[in-house]
Amino acid sequence: MKKPFIVIVFCYLLFLISCSVSPEEIRYGSDQCAYCSMNIVDKTHASQVVTSKGKQYKYDAVECLIHHIHDEELANTELAFILVTDYNNPGTMTQAKEAHFLISKNIPSPMGANLSAFKNIEAAQATQQENGGEIYNWETINEKMRLKK
Amino acid sequence: MKKTAFLILSLLFTSFVFAKTIKTCATCEVKTLGDAIALAESGDSIFMQKGTYYESDLLIDKSVKISGEKGTIIDGKNMSGVIIVNTQNFSLKNIEIQNVAVSYIKDNAAIKINNSENFIVENVTIQNVFFGIMIEKSKKGIIRNNNVSSNIKDEASSGNGIHAWHCSELEIYNNEVFNMRDGIYFEFVENSKIYNNNSHNNIRYGLHFMFSNHDEYHHNTFKNNGAGVAVMFSKFINMYRNKFIYNWGTASYGLLLKEIYDAEIYENTFEENTIGINIEGSTRINYNNNIFRSNGWAIKVRGACYLNIFKNNDFLHNALDVSYNSKLNDNLFENNYWSEYSGYDLDKNGMGDVPYRPVKLFSYVVNESPEALVLLRSLFIDIINFSEKVSPIFTPDNLIDEKPRLKPINDFN
Repeated sequence: MKKPFIVIVFCYLLFLISCSVSPEEIRYGSDQCAYCSMNIVDKTHASQVVTSKGKQYKYDAVECLIHHIHDEELANTELAFILVTDYNNPGTMTQAKEAHFLISKNIPSPMGANLSAFKNIEAAQATQQENGGEIYNWETINEKMRLKK
Repeated sequence: MKKTAFLILSLLFTSFVFAKTIKTCATCEVKTLGDAIALAESGDSIFMQKGTYYESDLLIDKSVKISGEKGTIIDGKNMSGVIIVNTQNFSLKNIEIQNVAVSYIKDNAAIKINNSENFIVENVTIQNVFFGIMIEKSKKGIIRNNNVSSNIKDEASSGNGIHAWHCSELEIYNNEVFNMRDGIYFEFVENSKIYNNNSHNNIRYGLHFMFSNHDEYHHNTFKNNGAGVAVMFSKFINMYRNKFIYNWGTASYGLLLKEIYDAEIYENTFEENTIGINIEGSTRINYNNNIFRSNGWAIKVRGACYLNIFKNNDFLHNALDVSYNSKLNDNLFENNYWSEYSGYDLDKNGMGDVPYRPVKLFSYVVNESPEALVLLRSLFIDIINFSEKVSPIFTPDNLIDEKPRLKPINDFN
């Protein structure tokens, strides 16, 4: 009598686990960028995307993420999470759509776009004052990167 | 006329007389390198007697020649970077530098060379650092006979061994670089040479090119790195006589090519790598006289590769020789030796009489679902490979070596 119950619970748990749509932790040094195949090592510029079906894509740079989500592969896919690293908190992700982006020649990013992300505008402005460059929001940075391509 | 000659002579003479050597040591008049530099004038030499000197972010903005006795150590005490150079005609040799602070925001380096020209860094041992030698916006530099390493605890908190950014006319040779993120990294570097280096056990790449054109690297060994060499977004790179050995792991490559054009790759050895060469978006590249020995995949082509020529290469005992992810082929395979070739040579001209198809159906299956790799040595796979060989449906129809060799041709020891 007990056994089938346990089996059902187990199956239910398995179902829950396999269907959870949430971002996986990035394993720096061993995970690979889904767009440029480079190993992800930079804790200040990594970013990631999770589709609504739970598929994980990790990137070594914000520019890779932006190029990839406009590519054929992802352009028509529903995305549950678009995350970028907050430059001031290495290793911590923040929502890309609410983030602020700084392109500054004095802060190189892994794929050459000199692009960093910030959780709040004050931090972005402070870094801009120190290093120069221009600030964008999610929409304008997308425009900028796509035009560049 | 006489006057100018006299002037030149006297100038030479005075500079000869006044170029002095400043000695530093614990009991000398000048105790630190910082003091010595403050005292020095352009053209002077600084000789450091043995002992440990503590310096951090020390700026060298004069044309001086710094050298050390055996046992001279400059310790950064993990405060910041150690030496910052911003000058012409500078040299640094025979010293040890250690303990540079790790930072995510600042690129701390043991030696940072900035806006400089005509410099030499040689016989320098660099240990326990974030970045080793970092060269920015500089040209005409020589980096030779150095030993750069770190002792990484956390994989992502490591910098690159020799890192060049926006430079030209550099020569980097006879260095040993290990336990760093990238051994040597070129970003926007032109007309430079990298040779005779030994780059091993680095977390990411032994050597990494990004947006760099007209460079060459040869006679280097890249062993046991995350991946041997990555050449990305670059044009006109010559790669020859290098050894790519044991770059082994789930996604490791001997050589990763992405978006590169007009390159020459010849007389290299690729041995025991997960993937010998991983090629993506690369056009007009000649692969001549290379040896691919005991790799998982010798060559993996991942699309958008046109007008490449593979000639006179030896493919020896790789699990899979060539893998393609599309049916389109615009690349030429000719006169290679394939250890798996089972044809015959009736006219005895050294070339097989029936063409060889390097792409197996199984490599297709593995592209689609990597887990299928466990079936590699099974009978079933042998059967489907054979049936595909007899009547190809999935593999590119024109991807064949018309004249495969019957004997290997290359031997580089």
